[in-house]
Amino acid sequence: MSTGDPMIEATGITRTFGSVDALSSVSLRVERGTVLGLLGRNGAGKTTLVNILTTMLPASSGTARVAGFDIAREGAEVRSRIGLTGQFASVDQELTGRANLVLLARLLGSTRAQAHARADELLEAFSLTKAADRPARTYSGGMRRRLDLAASLVGRPEVIFLDEPTTGLDPTSRLNLWQIVEGLVGEAATALLTTQYLDEADRLADVITVLSAGAVVASGTAAELKAQVGQRTVTVRLDWLRSTDLACAALRGAGLHPLSPSRVSSSRPSGRPARSPTSSAPSTAPASKPTTWRSRSPLSTTST
Amino acid sequence: MTSTLTRGAPAAAPPRPRGSSFATQMAVLTSRSLMTSVRDPQMILFSLLQPAVLLFMFTQVFAVMATTSSFPPGMTYIDYLMPAILLNNAVQQAMQCGVGLVEDLKNGFLARLRSMPIHRSAPLVARSFADLAYCALQLVALLVAAVAVFGYRPGGGFLGGVVSVALALVVSYGLSWVFLALGAWLRRAQTMQNISIVAVFPLMFVSSAYVPLAALPDWLRAVAQANPLTYAVDTIRSIALGMPGGGFPAAGTTLLISAAMAAAGAFAANHFFRRPF
Repeated sequence: MSTGDPMIEATGITRTFGSVDALSSVSLRVERGTVLGLLGRNGAGKTTLVNILTTMLPASSGTARVAGFDIAREGAEVRSRIGLTGQFASVDQELTGRANLVLLARLLGSTRAQAHARADELLEAFSLTKAADRPARTYSGGMRRRLDLAASLVGRPEVIFLDEPTTGLDPTSRLNLWQIVEGLVGEAATALLTTQYLDEADRLADVITVLSAGAVVASGTAAELKAQVGQRTVTVRLDWLRSTDLACAALRGAGLHPLSPSRVSSSRPSGRPARSPTSSAPSTAPASKPTTWRSRSPLSTTST
Repeated sequence: MTSTLTRGAPAAAPPRPRGSSFATQMAVLTSRSLMTSVRDPQMILFSLLQPAVLLFMFTQVFAVMATTSSFPPGMTYIDYLMPAILLNNAVQQAMQCGVGLVEDLKNGFLARLRSMPIHRSAPLVARSFADLAYCALQLVALLVAAVAVFGYRPGGGFLGGVVSVALALVVSYGLSWVFLALGAWLRRAQTMQNISIVAVFPLMFVSSAYVPLAALPDWLRAVAQANPLTYAVDTIRSIALGMPGGGFPAAGTTLLISAAMAAAGAFAANHFFRRPF
């Protein structure tokens, strides 16, 4: 995998919003022609990382190079070599699909004729030719994502950022989009894909990096990660804050370890558990201010 | 999936575009903003209907103003009112410019533009140009309607009409940067509308726009005299109606104030626009 030709190389990227650490010292590397799957749940920092790598948001500290250019000092060079499709980057809903693609091509420096040719090419490839002259707001969810993806490919980018490309899509549209992404990968494009779904990362990514609460908690090929999966996850819900130390001792005695010390701490107020990639909060919570502590392996969660 | 989507086969694929000039970015983005408006016939209809309705209502309700002692003798109310309607419309359109920016921020289109190799302020400048062009169209339509339907007969003649519209546009452009800054800062359409109700609307009323200052109670007159819109209205009115005094020195002041608003607004708008969406 390490051919020594990284198209994305991030070192110690940290981003704080006020007192919140959205990302803490994230490092990753994506080789040319490979797909990195960035896995994590809402709020894990995926979009923040994408925003930083696409030069839309400055990092608080850390450095990164994308397509060989420094994101902080050579932003324009980076932007002319990337494509972004995401939850937050979209097309003009009032313009037609074709007009959107033509507009983007013109902004990238194509002549009018070249822009139209490129738009036709992409509309054809993404099965949007029939809907090409309808306003984008009339498109179905799946069509809109395809148009978004086409829009990010107008400039023949060297690196593509796909920020949760299938979130909210029905299973058929999702499969359809997967096939398109696989097609791109077949062309040796480099991509960073963020997703909440392990199956999506498994299918599309060469390397999967798991992001949790702004930190990389695991990284490897799907096979490597699966080998680590299977550890136990225990969720403890306490009625009394003062039982915390007792519970921690008992869990350690059972051979369980917290993911990080910050997740098991008596300073955390009651109610919401620490940000974590699980969604398996039990419904047996007592009405009186429950406190949830978890000790788990980072990956057991993504297999649920 | 053909191999033309991304980098593709090096021999066959055309080279990656090398970026566009600022002028192209302006042309493309300005016409996009205009096209978005043209595609919304409802918006066009109502944005033209609203000042026409205002014109009709005011001429009917306030016509009695022209008979009061504080009103300039020998002037019809429509002649007095029309320059204010032009300015009011210009101010409304400036606010609309900020609302348009907020909508673009919301639907993610600007986020995509930001990930592209274009000038960072291009979307802002294009938005200001598009709304200026749209405002010009509106004002000319209003002027024609006023002359044809409402009996507007400005003493300044054709030249006065043209210069008064041009001045209203200058004020609109200056203010549009203030509203772009507010839009880039607040990023909520609802908040922008509220500002219009609590700030812009009273500013128009507490001025010489609809009634002469002499007709106002003392304290209100003091506020109106400090209101920059009073000066803009007086200038536009004196030029449109060919009144003695006022005229070009006042026009110079109006230009200067508008330029200052545009400069300060542009600075702030670019600053706030840099924040992540």
